[in-house]
Amino acid sequence: MNNEVIVAPDLLIDHLFRNRAGQMVAYLTRLLGPEHLDLAEEVVQEALLKALQNWPYSGIPQNPAGWLFRVARNAALDAIRHRTLAGEKNVQFAAERIRDAEAAAGDDREIEDRLRDDELSMVLMCCHPALPRDARVALSLKTVGGFSTREIARAFLSDEPTIAQRLVRAKRQIRESQVSFELPTGDDLALRLESALEVIYLMFNEGYAAQSGQDLVRQDLCGEALRLGRLLATSSVGTPQAHALVALMAFQAARLSARIDSGGELVLLEDQDRSLWDQKLVGLGFRHFSECAEGTQMSAYHVQAAIAATYAGVQQANGIDWPVILSLYNELMEISPSPVVALNRAVAVSRVQGAEAALAALRPLIEDRSLRNYYLLPAVQGRLLRDLGDREAAADCFRQALERPCSEPEKRFLQRKLRDCM
Amino acid sequence: MPSFMLLLYNDPANWQNMSPEDAQKALQKFMDWGSKLHSSGAHLASHKLADDAGKVMRGHGKVRVTDGPYSETKEVLGGYYLIKAANYNEAAERARDCPALEYGGTIEVRQVDPMMDDAA
Repeated sequence: MNNEVIVAPDLLIDHLFRNRAGQMVAYLTRLLGPEHLDLAEEVVQEALLKALQNWPYSGIPQNPAGWLFRVARNAALDAIRHRTLAGEKNVQFAAERIRDAEAAAGDDREIEDRLRDDELSMVLMCCHPALPRDARVALSLKTVGGFSTREIARAFLSDEPTIAQRLVRAKRQIRESQVSFELPTGDDLALRLESALEVIYLMFNEGYAAQSGQDLVRQDLCGEALRLGRLLATSSVGTPQAHALVALMAFQAARLSARIDSGGELVLLEDQDRSLWDQKLVGLGFRHFSECAEGTQMSAYHVQAAIAATYAGVQQANGIDWPVILSLYNELMEISPSPVVALNRAVAVSRVQGAEAALAALRPLIEDRSLRNYYLLPAVQGRLLRDLGDREAAADCFRQALERPCSEPEKRFLQRKLRDCM
Repeated sequence: MPSFMLLLYNDPANWQNMSPEDAQKALQKFMDWGSKLHSSGAHLASHKLADDAGKVMRGHGKVRVTDGPYSETKEVLGGYYLIKAANYNEAAERARDCPALEYGGTIEVRQVDPMMDDAA
C-alpha cells in the first residue's frame, strides 16, 4: 500500500510470469483435478493481470511469486464458491484440498520441491500417449510452458484457431479418458517418459530451425525445451535418456548464435567461430553427458549427444575426430535409422574414406521420397562432386538444392556455392 | 513545487488476451517508467483503485447512495499518480511515455490547486 517503493525491476526475472504461470497451473490442476484444467488456467491468467494492474502503482512485492500464488489461489476459491452456488457438485472438495494443501505447506524449499513435482506430473500428463503427438506439444507449451495460443501458433507457423481447437480437443480427451494427474508407474511411466522426451525434442527442433531475426518466440522454444528437459532429467524419475537429451540440446543450443554471422550469412559447423559458442551451455552439456553414461540402454539420444560432444570437445574444427564421428553414425543407423541420419553419416564418410565413398553412400537416398524436398541432399552431393573436380555436375546439384524449400541465408549460401562452380 | 494528479483511465478489455510473456513485458515498461519517476524525485503517491462499481452519493438533505456506473463504462479510472512538476508542461512530459498510453489508455493531468500549497 505504501509508496516507499519497491521499484526493483530485478525482481522481474526473465520469463517469471511464463514459468510461474506453468507452475501455478500445475499446482492448481493437482488440487482441482485435471477435469478443471480450464479453471486453473483462468485463475492463473487472472492473477497475472492483477499483478500487471497493481504493481505499477504499488511497486513489485518482495516475493512476487508468492503474491501471484496467493491471488491465483483466492481466485480459485472464489470461482469454486460461485460454481457451488450455481449447483455444480464436487467442486467444494477442491476448495478443501486447496485449504489442506496450504495448511500442510512447509518452508520455501519444500514448496519449491512440491512445485517441481507438480510441473513434472503436468508434463507427463500432457504427454499421455492417448493424445495425438501435436496435441501433446501444444498442451505442454500452453500449460507447463505458459505460452499463449497465439504464441504457440506463431512458433509452429500455424494459425491461432487451429491451435486453439487442438487444445480444446486435448483437454476434452483428458477429461473423457480420465487421465490422472498422479505420476504413472512401471511400464506406463516408461512410455510417458519416452513420449515426454520426444515432445521436448520436437519443441527444441522447432525452435532450433528458427532463423536469427525471426520471431523471438520461436527461439524461446529452445529455452523452454531445455528447461523441461532438465526438470525431467533431474527429477526422481529422471533417466539416462533424459540426461542424454539435455546434453544434446545444450550442445546444439550453445552453437545457436554462431550459426549465422554478423552479415546474416549461414556459417557451417566447421567454419564457426568457436569463441561464439556459449560456454555455459557447453559445460551444461558435458555435465549431463557424463550423467547419461549410467545405465545400460544406449538410446538414439545417447549417440546424438555423443556426436555433439565430439564436436564440442575440440578447440579447432580441424581437430574433429572423424573416425569416431563415423562410428557413432554407424551406431545411430543401427538404433534409429532414417534417411536424414544416413545423409549425415555420408558427410562423415567423406571425411574418413573420401568423396567417392560418400557419393556411393548417398546413392540409395536419391530415390527416397521423404528426402524429395530436402535441400541438404543435393547440397551435400554438390559439395562432394565439387571436391572431386566435377564442377558441372556439382553446379547441377546446387541448382537442384535451390529449387527446394530453404531459408534466405541458406539460399544465399547455396548461390555462393553455385557461383564457385562456374 | 506544484503537484499534479495523473488520472489513468483504461479499457480493461485491452488486457484480457495477454500472454504471460506479454503481460510481463508490459509490466516491465511500467516499472521502468515508475523507477524514472522515483529517481527524479517527482513521485509523491500512487494508488490502484478497486475494480468494482464503486458508489455514487448525492442529495440535498437526504443523501442517496447508489452503485456507481464505473464497471459498465468502457474506460474506467484505474488508478492515479500524484507527482511534483514545475508546470503543466513538465507534468505532461512526465506522463508522455507512461506505457498506459501505449496500451490504449487515457491519462488526465490535473493540477492540485496551488492554493493548497499556500495553505500548507
